[in-house]
Amino acid sequence: MKFRVLACVFICLLSGCGGGGDSGGGAASPPAGPNVLTVSVGASALCTNVNTLCAQVTICQPGTSSCQTIPNMLVDIGSFGLRIFGSVLSPSLTQVVDSQNNPIGECMFFADGSAFWGPVQRADVVLGGEPAVPVPIHVIAPTFAGQSASNNPCNSMVGSDPLDAGFNGVLGIGVFAQDCGSVCATQSNNNLYFSCVASTCTSTTVPLLNQVQNPVWLLPSDNNGVILTLPNVPATGAQTVSGSLILGIGTSANNSPTPGVSVLKTDQNGLLTTIYKGTTFGQSVVDSGSNGYFFPDATIPLCATPLQDFYCPQAPINLSATLVGTNGHQEGISFQVANTLSLSQTGNAVFNNLGGQFPIFVWGLPFFLGRTAYVGIESQPSTLGTGPLLAF
Amino acid sequence: MQIWFRTALAILLIHSTAVTSGWAALGQSVASVERDRAAMGGEGQTKPGKGYSIETITVAGMTVKEYVSSGGIVFAVAWRGIGAPDLPLLFGSYFDEYREGLTAFQNKKPRIRKPMVLKTAHMVVERAGHARSMWGRAFIPTLLPTTISPEDIQ
Repeated sequence: MKFRVLACVFICLLSGCGGGGDSGGGAASPPAGPNVLTVSVGASALCTNVNTLCAQVTICQPGTSSCQTIPNMLVDIGSFGLRIFGSVLSPSLTQVVDSQNNPIGECMFFADGSAFWGPVQRADVVLGGEPAVPVPIHVIAPTFAGQSASNNPCNSMVGSDPLDAGFNGVLGIGVFAQDCGSVCATQSNNNLYFSCVASTCTSTTVPLLNQVQNPVWLLPSDNNGVILTLPNVPATGAQTVSGSLILGIGTSANNSPTPGVSVLKTDQNGLLTTIYKGTTFGQSVVDSGSNGYFFPDATIPLCATPLQDFYCPQAPINLSATLVGTNGHQEGISFQVANTLSLSQTGNAVFNNLGGQFPIFVWGLPFFLGRTAYVGIESQPSTLGTGPLLAF
Repeated sequence: MQIWFRTALAILLIHSTAVTSGWAALGQSVASVERDRAAMGGEGQTKPGKGYSIETITVAGMTVKEYVSSGGIVFAVAWRGIGAPDLPLLFGSYFDEYREGLTAFQNKKPRIRKPMVLKTAHMVVERAGHARSMWGRAFIPTLLPTTISPEDIQ
């Protein structure tokens, strides 16, 4: 049955079935130090979906040495703060409450249509060999405050299972310090943060420091941003790839920016502009948590169902675009889009040329392969300037 | 600030803030836009287009645009901002169809982390962005005026 074959191929594409392929290109010896986390695609039993970049973090009960190392955390430059499935979490954390001592819950949406509900709790978080920092995190727990996976303040089915998600949690390390910011500190109808009395949860304001935080900016040093560096892979992909997430920009011997990198300031929403084939696309997202290049180009053939949102050119197409920051700086980007069906048949898990159709530009994980990307956190100065910024 | 929003601001008319009762949304009349605005506690603006108009509602870090045909029917909504807007409100009678479609979409295993493209029997819903700036749009293809193409709904 054609459909069943395609369905199998689809599953393999999504889950990066093993077999064949070589591992990603020979990078120089990786940087070392307390500010370095190893990141990888296709290297574990859980984090197996295609172009899914993962790392491990350590979570501790506040003020204690009762800690748990949690692997398979999605490394996500497109979100802000730490989210962990409550079902994998052992240490006892401290519930964040409002002025009436009512527990605070959060509803967080992701671009793929998924949503997560659960309490905001304080943990001591350890990144690499850095000191532990106290941080409010989002514990994913659909039944928190009498809610359920299908009936909750997100008006959506919410995630409940790490196996379904393909990760134990999300390490959101993008350009912002909080996942909401001043809007949720001042406006009660934000529909992100909720105060719960018994099983009634009402949208509420939450002070900035009680919001879910990007843990990087709370570090005692190495706190002005991150550097993500990944080797490239062959055009037919690789089974695994491994690289480094380095904390801080220009704060240690191992994180000085390469001279001449282009510094693109993002807009107030963390977005850039893309110029592609003469058309200017505002609101472009640079996001290690998305697994492909997504953009509109009616000249590239789409695949058949069930890959109908992905591109399927007969042969790989070499493309170029220009990323533009609000400071007027530009960076030319060469990229390739290959036949997604062919890629899916390699059995590999990492591709630098996976692309699909979408009305706005999303520069996903392929963008980061063979590249060193600098992420400057809002209001934090570094040798690259003051964030929010991205540099390549 | 998005380019379209700046343009809208340049030529907008400021609506009165009269509150009417009931709920409104996709497939319903333009009167429903004002009810949405009131229900969301937002500010409203109108931008005329060719054969349609765009009603913009700004509230709590979220900008919602409702596209209204010359016949006065809401045929599309688009949004950008933090989190998600009140989709049961904006989708109205189409919300159940969306929920069913979304649940089926979410139940596909394994998950793929790409922008969401959901096509149900009567509607197209797309979502993307990142945590501080989620983008989405929904439209009813059979209600789309001939003077607008889906790419214009941003």
